[in-house]
Amino acid sequence: MWVLLSDRWVHRPDGEDHHDDHEYAGTTVITRAERTYDPADVSSREFWSLTATGRERTFAELRANRPVSWHRPAEDLLVEDPNDQGFWAVVRHADLVEVTRRHGDFLSGEGVAFESFPKEMLDVGQGFIAMDPPRHTKIRRLLTAAFTPKQMARIEQDIIANAGRIVDNIADKGQIDFVEEVAALVPMHNICDMAGVPERYRQVIAEESKLVDGWRDPELLQGAEPTARLFQALATLRQIAGELIAERRCKPGNDLLTSLVAAEFDGERLTDDEIVSAFTLLMVAGNDTTRQSISHGMKALTDFPDQRAWLMEDLAGRMPSAVEEIVRWATPIMTFRRTAARDCELAGQHITAGDKVILFYASANWDTDVFEHPERFDLSRSPNKHVSFGGGGIHHCLGNQLARKQLTATFRAVLTRLPDIQVVGEPVYGAGNFFHTVKSMTARYSPER
Amino acid sequence: MRVVVDKTKCASIGMCEAVAPDIFEIGANGALTILQENPSQERRDDVEMACTDCPTQALSIEEN
Repeated sequence: MWVLLSDRWVHRPDGEDHHDDHEYAGTTVITRAERTYDPADVSSREFWSLTATGRERTFAELRANRPVSWHRPAEDLLVEDPNDQGFWAVVRHADLVEVTRRHGDFLSGEGVAFESFPKEMLDVGQGFIAMDPPRHTKIRRLLTAAFTPKQMARIEQDIIANAGRIVDNIADKGQIDFVEEVAALVPMHNICDMAGVPERYRQVIAEESKLVDGWRDPELLQGAEPTARLFQALATLRQIAGELIAERRCKPGNDLLTSLVAAEFDGERLTDDEIVSAFTLLMVAGNDTTRQSISHGMKALTDFPDQRAWLMEDLAGRMPSAVEEIVRWATPIMTFRRTAARDCELAGQHITAGDKVILFYASANWDTDVFEHPERFDLSRSPNKHVSFGGGGIHHCLGNQLARKQLTATFRAVLTRLPDIQVVGEPVYGAGNFFHTVKSMTARYSPER
Repeated sequence: MRVVVDKTKCASIGMCEAVAPDIFEIGANGALTILQENPSQERRDDVEMACTDCPTQALSIEEN
């Protein structure tokens, strides 16, 4: 059902529980235009160019004093939206979890980035992550079967083998760009193995999916106009997906694309557009998240030698808690957006229908209400209630088990075979507000004999 | 104890199966099946963990 809110059409999930207990009633709603902006800056290019530690100073202040605060629109938006008056910043762990779980109040179908992307672009670029029930439920269920613990156990040997091959290829080099030669390759091969993407397309897909968040980056753009380049990247992904779908129709394989093509849900099949959009999301979410976690993990293992020594005392046994801490530390996705479906209340603030609500995952992962000494990289941390895979709810990361297995396999292979590997110098970080990108990072080690 | 799933909440994320694969299973159609509706008392810790770990809070225990 499409509903006209104060200023826009919004897709309302049919037959959903609308959490009436949260419904805001009573006193006058302060309209967006009348609200004053919070003095803390989480909108500017400068803010997003800081390191995680630099941004944390601002988050700490907001968490302590103004946990849900109204901010001017983010700078550097790709799509000009004259109606964009700003956004709510949700920085506390508990509030982030609450917003995530109130999916009837806080919708994803309007987009999950700061940007007011047009609907067509959301469909291609963001897939079912930017959908609400019932459409989300239908597509997500189809993919779930490929990510169950049983499936993950089945492909675990492939994941370990991929990690081994990647280390084989660098073992005698002594110095590498760790991002390019390790962190990017691990998820690329694993997600492409699962989806059924042949070797010839893998590098192209990995490169083009960087544009989804990287269109601000002059190095990636190489002089191209950002919007045109982003559309070109999406078109390339769409074209490859289209070709592979056609192939699977004639010649089914044992992969995710085949299941998407063959899938039936209550007698309904997915349209080609739905398959393409699910495929694109898998490629982007599969490549760009684990890459960052592996990179940040390697950097942290260099910066905290005592933690690394502790891990090496029992690598297999301590890897599970280490992986959780690496994922918390990395927070590969820094923000997701929701859009208020209706007037409602959140942590004492009156949210108005149509308001953008931004969840700050890096901030929630450093919330001292939940984490003791969050500034410590503590591989034995337990419990570790990080929100790097989401704060729960229906959009919780589909690939969380896959990510954990990949991190485990990668660090076990790297740390065992290249025991003295170190990051040298400072990594080059990206400046986006979505992925916590490490663009490049030199690592040095004694070549394997 | 009896394991109860609220199908309107379940999003088939599979955290329960990761904790107790003999009790929970996400099928090929993406739907959750409870393999043992009345698990033995010694499985209580695992079942409770599955309930608290469920990202959509779709699982609960009913005492017989």
